[in-house]
Amino acid sequence: MEYFSLKRSNAADRGQTNLSSKVYVRSTKSGKVQKIVRELYLRQDIPCSSNLCKSCIEIAPTDYSKKVAPFILSDTPAGSKNFPHGQYLVPDTNAFLTGMDLFEVENALQDVIVLQTVLEEVKNRSLPLYHRLIALTKNEGKRFYVFFNEFRQETHVVRDAGETINDRNDRAVRKAVQWYSQHIKDAVAARSKLSKRVPSVVMISDDRDNLRKARLEGIAAHTLFDFVSGLSNADELLDMISAAEEKREVRSKKAEVFYSEHFTLSKMMTGVKAGTLHQGIFNVSPYNYLEGSIHVPAFDKSLLILGRENSNRAVSGDVVVVEVLPQDQWKAPSTKIIEEETVTKNDNAEAEDGENVVSERERRALQEEVKRIHGQSAEGKPQPTARVVGIIKRNWRQYVGHIDRDSVRSSSKSSRQQQIVFLVPMDKRIPKIRIRTRQAGELLGQRVLATIDAWERDSRFPVGHFVRSLGELESKGAETEALLLEWDVQYKPFPKTVLDCLPVEGHDWKVPTSMDDPGWRGRKDLRDLLVCSIDPPGCVDIDDALHARKLPNGNFEVGVHIADVSHFVKPNNAMDKEASQRGTTVYLVDKRIDMLPMLLGTDLCSLKPYVERYAFSVLWEITSDADIVSAHFTKSVIRSREAFAYEQAQIRIDDKSQQDDLTNGMRTLMMLSKKLRQKRMDAGALNLASPEVKIQTESETSDPVDVQTKKQLDTNSLVEEFMLLANISVAGKNYEAFPQTALLRRHAPPPKTNFEELDNQLKVKKGLELRTDSSKALADSLDTCVDPNEPFFNTLVRIMATRCMMSAEYFCAGTQAYPEFRHYGLASEIYTHFTSPIRRYADLEAHRQLAAAIDYEQLDSSLQSRGKLEGVCKNINVRHRNAQMAGRASIEYYVGQALKGKDITEDGFVMKIFSNGMVVFVPRFGIESLIRLRDLATPEPEAEFDAENYTLKVKGEVNRNVELFEKVKVRITDEMEESTGKRKVKLTLV
Amino acid sequence: MPLDTSSYSLALLRLDGRRWNELRRIHAQISTQAAADGSSYLEMGNTKVLCTVTGPAEGRQTGQRGGKDNEAKVEVEIGFAGFSGVERRKRRNDKRTSEMQHTLSTAYSTLLLTHLYPHSTITIRLHILSQDGSLLASCINASTLALIDAGVPMTDYLVACTAASSSTSSESESEISDPLLDLNGLEEQELPFLTVATLGKSERVSVLLMESRVRMERVEGMLAVGIEGCKRIREILDGVVKGYGKRYA
Repeated sequence: MEYFSLKRSNAADRGQTNLSSKVYVRSTKSGKVQKIVRELYLRQDIPCSSNLCKSCIEIAPTDYSKKVAPFILSDTPAGSKNFPHGQYLVPDTNAFLTGMDLFEVENALQDVIVLQTVLEEVKNRSLPLYHRLIALTKNEGKRFYVFFNEFRQETHVVRDAGETINDRNDRAVRKAVQWYSQHIKDAVAARSKLSKRVPSVVMISDDRDNLRKARLEGIAAHTLFDFVSGLSNADELLDMISAAEEKREVRSKKAEVFYSEHFTLSKMMTGVKAGTLHQGIFNVSPYNYLEGSIHVPAFDKSLLILGRENSNRAVSGDVVVVEVLPQDQWKAPSTKIIEEETVTKNDNAEAEDGENVVSERERRALQEEVKRIHGQSAEGKPQPTARVVGIIKRNWRQYVGHIDRDSVRSSSKSSRQQQIVFLVPMDKRIPKIRIRTRQAGELLGQRVLATIDAWERDSRFPVGHFVRSLGELESKGAETEALLLEWDVQYKPFPKTVLDCLPVEGHDWKVPTSMDDPGWRGRKDLRDLLVCSIDPPGCVDIDDALHARKLPNGNFEVGVHIADVSHFVKPNNAMDKEASQRGTTVYLVDKRIDMLPMLLGTDLCSLKPYVERYAFSVLWEITSDADIVSAHFTKSVIRSREAFAYEQAQIRIDDKSQQDDLTNGMRTLMMLSKKLRQKRMDAGALNLASPEVKIQTESETSDPVDVQTKKQLDTNSLVEEFMLLANISVAGKNYEAFPQTALLRRHAPPPKTNFEELDNQLKVKKGLELRTDSSKALADSLDTCVDPNEPFFNTLVRIMATRCMMSAEYFCAGTQAYPEFRHYGLASEIYTHFTSPIRRYADLEAHRQLAAAIDYEQLDSSLQSRGKLEGVCKNINVRHRNAQMAGRASIEYYVGQALKGKDITEDGFVMKIFSNGMVVFVPRFGIESLIRLRDLATPEPEAEFDAENYTLKVKGEVNRNVELFEKVKVRITDEMEESTGKRKVKLTLV
Repeated sequence: MPLDTSSYSLALLRLDGRRWNELRRIHAQISTQAAADGSSYLEMGNTKVLCTVTGPAEGRQTGQRGGKDNEAKVEVEIGFAGFSGVERRKRRNDKRTSEMQHTLSTAYSTLLLTHLYPHSTITIRLHILSQDGSLLASCINASTLALIDAGVPMTDYLVACTAASSSTSSESESEISDPLLDLNGLEEQELPFLTVATLGKSERVSVLLMESRVRMERVEGMLAVGIEGCKRIREILDGVVKGYGKRYA
């Protein structure tokens, strides 16, 4: 009788060579230690994927549909100085960690074998880098192949007793390289006896020990640096290697420490849980680079973080943990402008001598601050201050900037000497970045893209590396690309996979003539309605069209017809994914970065006049008092009769001689829209203002010619009213159908504290009161904020009030309670975006939900999952904001260009006042700029600053008082900044 | 943490180095417990199950002796060893276990020729020694072997295995979504999967259980692969039984 033994099965397996197991110990979040045992099935049918190899083709795996993946590695890989026969690269983990930017350069390093061991290690070390690496393996041109060496019998390595995991992984890498080079050799030999061209398999590693062992074993091995040096365009490539690793060796000899050490993660977490530490996002003031603030849930007001010592290597945007400082160190927020450029102008990028973190000059700048605050009565209202003790998550991205001319030692273009220079980021809140480069001479005067690699305790500034140059400073191409990068706008052309999703007919696509066509299923034929569209002049992506007609019962039928984008963009295909990532179309002055390919956006979806188009229609029955009787939603086919520009439409409506049905329909719309608007205003909708200007450009060169402020016509608000109405109706319908997953838009009421300062300013300066208890009260009190002598004052207050608001956001219905759905600015209970699916992804999602709500089609699974939708919302919120910022930055750049070489005197208003300067807003150009005291006269005049009354008394020869809200005459010129070679608009008081 | 299931599309290799249509190593023994009427020990990868069968015998309860008037009752008890999972955990009779017990007992009630044993009970006791995915499938396979060992007449082998879909429910169609056969613990946590049991060589499905959400169009492929897997498991179990038979003939 055979008896059972638990151990026997294992004993029997020992003879089996194709089964191994992986045993490792891991610790969980709660601190428990787990031992994990996993099986590994070793195999011999993992191909080498080299096109040189014939034997591997036979064993290549097939998937469920019997397809075989094509081989990736080229049969004639590129060579280099050391390897004339070409090479396959096998990078070690550290090569990817330090040189990912390098590997991403198109056409530079190709035919790379990514080992499973390395892939796993990269994933452990850095998830973002792992994702970038995976993206590389999917890029066909780069020819990156993932070789699962741990599963291949010949290359599987068992960890020896006492061997560290690193040594084992290194050994696994070497073993794989060895196997590969033998395998390639055999493959070439099998191919033809004569062939001499055998590509080398080269290991790339920065680990000295690993390199040494590799050489002993006869493996071709190089450091990334050495290998790249052997390539033809080495200089440019070498700059892209991350500085983080190298630096450690170079600087280990002197242990000058500038910053205090960060707490360990567990210490921070315990502190946050206990309430002694606070976690939040670190933000730097755009006016004072030494002052940061952080909003934490425990306090109403933001905590201040003053000085570089306290901000302890945090960069704006990082998620940090702070500790509140004792009360005697509390201070009021700065009333002084401190710019990094001017304070640390003379710091040497290369010198790291015993200077303190806060350089003497910085210290002085802060000191004056403190003195001033202590001298003041309790009115100064000191705010709690804090100190950064640790960083949870870095939010470093790639930064655009320029090389600081003063930090370059030799600017000769031919010099190939390596030097350390400062990169001054465009974003004022980001500190200078130390960069090591061999091409300093060439990079001067260029827009440069760089990343931060590390910020060690012994370095005053973060260390980074060069990524690429965007072109000459101030050239249109470079500046546009710079601001797109800075706001993270995806501007590359659409990849082929996306274009493949377009209808095959291209521009010849037409609404099918036969009503039996599947495209007509569930669609209403609305071609006989007199529909027209009203848009800004020159608009090509027409999202919306309108119609109105009288019904027999005396009411009106009003229809809003929106481009049926969801018909063309099916959920989850490549085009949809791209659109969901882009989130929105970005409008720059001279350029539009589309969310959807041109063919759809400007032709097939666009509701162009005189042709039939698919639409998604919202039809209301409305009484002549603009009360809604019923709303009806349907997919439809329409034929727009005319596409008007706002002005054209206005003229046509005002022209009494035009009495055709179309014009009368527009008059009906106008009449109803005015009533709707009044109702909305009565409900407490806000009429806010933002400085909007329009750039007139020359049609061919798109050089700016003139700047104009935007005009508001009645037809603008006509369209706006009906779009709002459509959005609100759709929001209600979607929420009713999908109470958990409807995609909506909300605008939270601003917290009272946001308005405190503005309220106080108005009270002190103008004796006005701002009531903020509800949007209605705010709207009413904004109406009363008028200065009879100054019509613009009201707009100015509205602009400033807008800045106190929260920003509206997309959200998923299930994540908030119903009362939180409210849109504060529009005073609507529920709201979504539905009317611009060509340029906003949120609208496209709303279309899909509405189509499902009216049983037109099945709802895709991605729209049923709350988690997925929350992800979408998060992304489009960010994209939406970035798109606005990029648009504004573009206008700013063009205004600057339009003012080039001019000298104009204009009216301006003081918006903000500091102890050594002020911010002045010029409505004519929509520009807002700093005027510092030292711009008024040299030497910098003395001034007396009264923080309570918001006045600045400038002494000396200037001798004048400047008050908040004061109307001032300013002279606008442009000036070339010497240190940067950058042109800037400069304002001076006249 | 090592790679997760998303790396499947890179080289068509699963987390443990298998291809989509490969079973894990299966090791099975029967007659392992001399004292039981029938017993078996089964390993599918690192999932290890011990099964003993008692009966057909008189039931334990005095009031109602065994099953109904005309057929035997099948009772199933499943016990988890404290060390079977990654963490040591006491497992009381939770819902999941009772569901498994119920599934097994209904499946075997119809499969076994219970009408031959009126007024009696057949008790299947399963001891889970180690868990690494496909637990229900392992239990079914072990029970089948133990019942054969006990000599309880049945029409054919009841064999089971699991099948999954390699990408999660809402990912795009463009991504490779192969059905995967016989899941280990890690894959079960990340992928939607089903357990299917069929009657021997026929394609008659007797147990089908799926607790995760998956796109409708993927189910067909998963089921086809699962049934294919069952056929292969039947061959293996049959080999074990025959080998045992030869040795003691």
